[in-house]
Amino acid sequence: MEPILTVNGLEKTYGGKGTRTNALRGLDLKVFPGEFVGVMGPSGSGKTTFLNCISTIDTPTAGSITVDGTDLTKLRGKALSKFRRERLGFIFQDCNLLDTLTGLENIALALTIAGCDPRKVEPLAKEAARLLEVEDVLDKYPYQMSGGQQQRVAAARAMVTRPALVLADEPTGALDSKAAGLLLRQLDTLNREEGATILMVTHDAFTASWCRRILFLQDGRLYRELRREGRDRGEFFREILSVVSELGGEVSHAL
Amino acid sequence: MLSKLVLRNVRRSLRDYAVYFITLTFGVCLFYTFNSLEGQSIMTLLGQHSRRGLVESIFILINVFSAFVSVVLAGLILYANQFLMKRRKRELGTYFLLGMDTGKVSRLLVGETLLIGLAALASGLALGLLCAWGLDKLTVAMFLAAPPDLFAFHVSWAAVGKTALYFGVIFLVVMLFTGVTVSRSNLIDLIRGERKNEEIAQRSLSLSVALFLLGCTCLGTAYAILLKRGLLAIDLLWFIMLGLGTLGTFLIFRSLSGFLLRLTRGHPSYYKGLNMFVLRQWSGKVHTNCLSNTVICILLLLAMGVTACSVGLNDTITSAVQSDSPFDLTLSSYAQALDFRPSDPNELFLPAGLDPEATFSRTESFLLRYNDREITGESGYLGVVSRSEYDAVMALRGEPRMTSPLPTAAPQSMANGLAPGKVLVVEDDVAERLDVSRQVINFTFRGEPYAADQAVRTALTEVARSTQLNLWGSFKLDDYFDQMGSKLLVLYMGLYLGLVFLVTAGAVLALQQLSQAADNAQRYELLSKLGAPLSMRRSALIRQVALAFLLPLALGIIHTFVGMRAANEIINLIGHVDSVHASLLTAGALLLIYGGYFLCTCLGAWRAVKGNV
Repeated sequence: MEPILTVNGLEKTYGGKGTRTNALRGLDLKVFPGEFVGVMGPSGSGKTTFLNCISTIDTPTAGSITVDGTDLTKLRGKALSKFRRERLGFIFQDCNLLDTLTGLENIALALTIAGCDPRKVEPLAKEAARLLEVEDVLDKYPYQMSGGQQQRVAAARAMVTRPALVLADEPTGALDSKAAGLLLRQLDTLNREEGATILMVTHDAFTASWCRRILFLQDGRLYRELRREGRDRGEFFREILSVVSELGGEVSHAL
Repeated sequence: MLSKLVLRNVRRSLRDYAVYFITLTFGVCLFYTFNSLEGQSIMTLLGQHSRRGLVESIFILINVFSAFVSVVLAGLILYANQFLMKRRKRELGTYFLLGMDTGKVSRLLVGETLLIGLAALASGLALGLLCAWGLDKLTVAMFLAAPPDLFAFHVSWAAVGKTALYFGVIFLVVMLFTGVTVSRSNLIDLIRGERKNEEIAQRSLSLSVALFLLGCTCLGTAYAILLKRGLLAIDLLWFIMLGLGTLGTFLIFRSLSGFLLRLTRGHPSYYKGLNMFVLRQWSGKVHTNCLSNTVICILLLLAMGVTACSVGLNDTITSAVQSDSPFDLTLSSYAQALDFRPSDPNELFLPAGLDPEATFSRTESFLLRYNDREITGESGYLGVVSRSEYDAVMALRGEPRMTSPLPTAAPQSMANGLAPGKVLVVEDDVAERLDVSRQVINFTFRGEPYAADQAVRTALTEVARSTQLNLWGSFKLDDYFDQMGSKLLVLYMGLYLGLVFLVTAGAVLALQQLSQAADNAQRYELLSKLGAPLSMRRSALIRQVALAFLLPLALGIIHTFVGMRAANEIINLIGHVDSVHASLLTAGALLLIYGGYFLCTCLGAWRAVKGNV
């Protein structure tokens, strides 16, 4: 099977002479269609830079990123915007719903930006809302919803355009454990039943335990890879915790 | 250190708050321009020639209006300053957090206000000098006759001093306000200044529709009262009309967003591109801004109404001069004895050394007789002229001879002050039996009218002294200068007030839009993340600003249209109004100032939300 995301020798350097910061130092990975991949790592490991590069918000210094056969590093300006709105879906930490729009309109926004046929917008948005079980808040404004509902509406917005890849940046970061569990269950369902490919960045082991595969980053390199492979979530969770403590144990290395 | 901070902040303010600075500059410029009229050459000329003290009235009115205008501008500047303070809460909080004491922060802000004020005063005065020069030039161009060396560039130091004084007081008030605001602010509020609690209340459709209909009814009633009773029937009902109009405007703004939203929702184009986003952006604000929108709408009505009326009235007066005094000079030589011998008009000025050939392009002369009802059988005329003399005059003018049965009223103006229909034409034998009142001589000057007028005036004094004739001259220029005085009075006052109102309305709208820039920046950044391309975001922003600017304008234009119809009925009493000309000039001023603010706002708002994605 062709991978949906291929990253080759990805490097990102900030700053100029003298004050060079290497955020990413040669990262290679592949994500296949229908995968639910988590990216973990301590602060400064390059998680955010990695996600920014894939989401075309930032441009890498070296290496290539190929999504669904398109080399992102070769795209500029309009083509980049077009790629972003047609092939990618985003879920941010601070859900980023527009406070002036209702739930339904927030979901519809992704479709109208993509230039969808106006008559199909509402049915498609309602369908996405049904998948994420937020049908009862469609007429509410973001400030009338709970944090979990907001985040699920944001997820519905990310899914509604049927993107090749859904990028989630700490989606549970601002949620309590119950709301976080509900959101993750829904993402899991979307992944299994709708075949959505999801790439999720998180620092939380519990959140990561919902993924099928987890990539650990450290100092801009791939440190380790874990696969769930049919194990139960509790077991996977403990394994993740052990890797996290290994990563956190870096300090004792230095001693 | 403090002065360094002040300088840096001001430099940044000049860029970020261009609207504030431009408004100050416009205010100073208008204030100077109209207050400097006192020394302008054309006013001096009018003062010499006008007989009715009109020039004095112009200056008195300008003083009264200036006081009013300065109050309006003070309000506007305070409003703008408040906006700036709100946007800088975070920054002020940081100063306090770093341990600056209240006095120092106050001094910092006062220093900034002072510097911006001085900069605006300088640029406003510079622009004002230019505008005053332009206005002077424009005024001279309106004059049919003026001495050629009249026009000169002129700096009115009195006006400069007055402008500096008035704006100095305004800035002092602003500084006081700023100081008080700073000393009364809480650190926690400043730090959290960016957080906002905005409730977007969902109103039910039926309530929106009801309010909208109620608003329309109020407006309709106000319009009906106005059109039925006219503009100047000032009594209780007039104030009710005013109140209803204001209330109607307010209600329409209050309900329009909910109404429009419900109307467009479900329509396919609602879900096209960023239409939905733009409409929501606008409707979210139009609720909170309905009061200020009402004020802006009324300001626009005043601006457009006053400008259009003054220009219209101005045109009316111009045509009035033409019909009242069609001749450059009408000389009356009064009969001192019964055996009156008319003088030869061509020889009349010879003793004064004036060459009639070189001075006059046409000379008409006839005898005006006293009307006697016993003989002519008619009454109500200023004088009587015989058929042969009438025909002779008409032949000179190239007009048709008298063909109607006599006696009848002369269909043409016979001289300055002898309007059509005021002179009776009778058969020659009837005229012989009437006493001669005076010999009337109409002169049309050759060459430049002002120079000719001056030369003839001097000569006329000489002739009157040397010939013992009882002469009285009615010069067109005398009439003209009188009329020009009233004309300028109306025009200047209208322009002054109209422009100030226009600037105020534009500035308030612009500030309102720009104050939302911080909120908008977040929203547009999200749009960009969702993949909305630059062009799409830009057009959305422009449409958003355009909606905010056009809605009050649209309602204001409707108000003005109705108001002008009522006003026209008054102007029509004086004469015909050239409404096309008035409308065009008003539209021009509107386009320039309102459009300028619109452009400024678009640019500023775009710079704030453009981002770097």
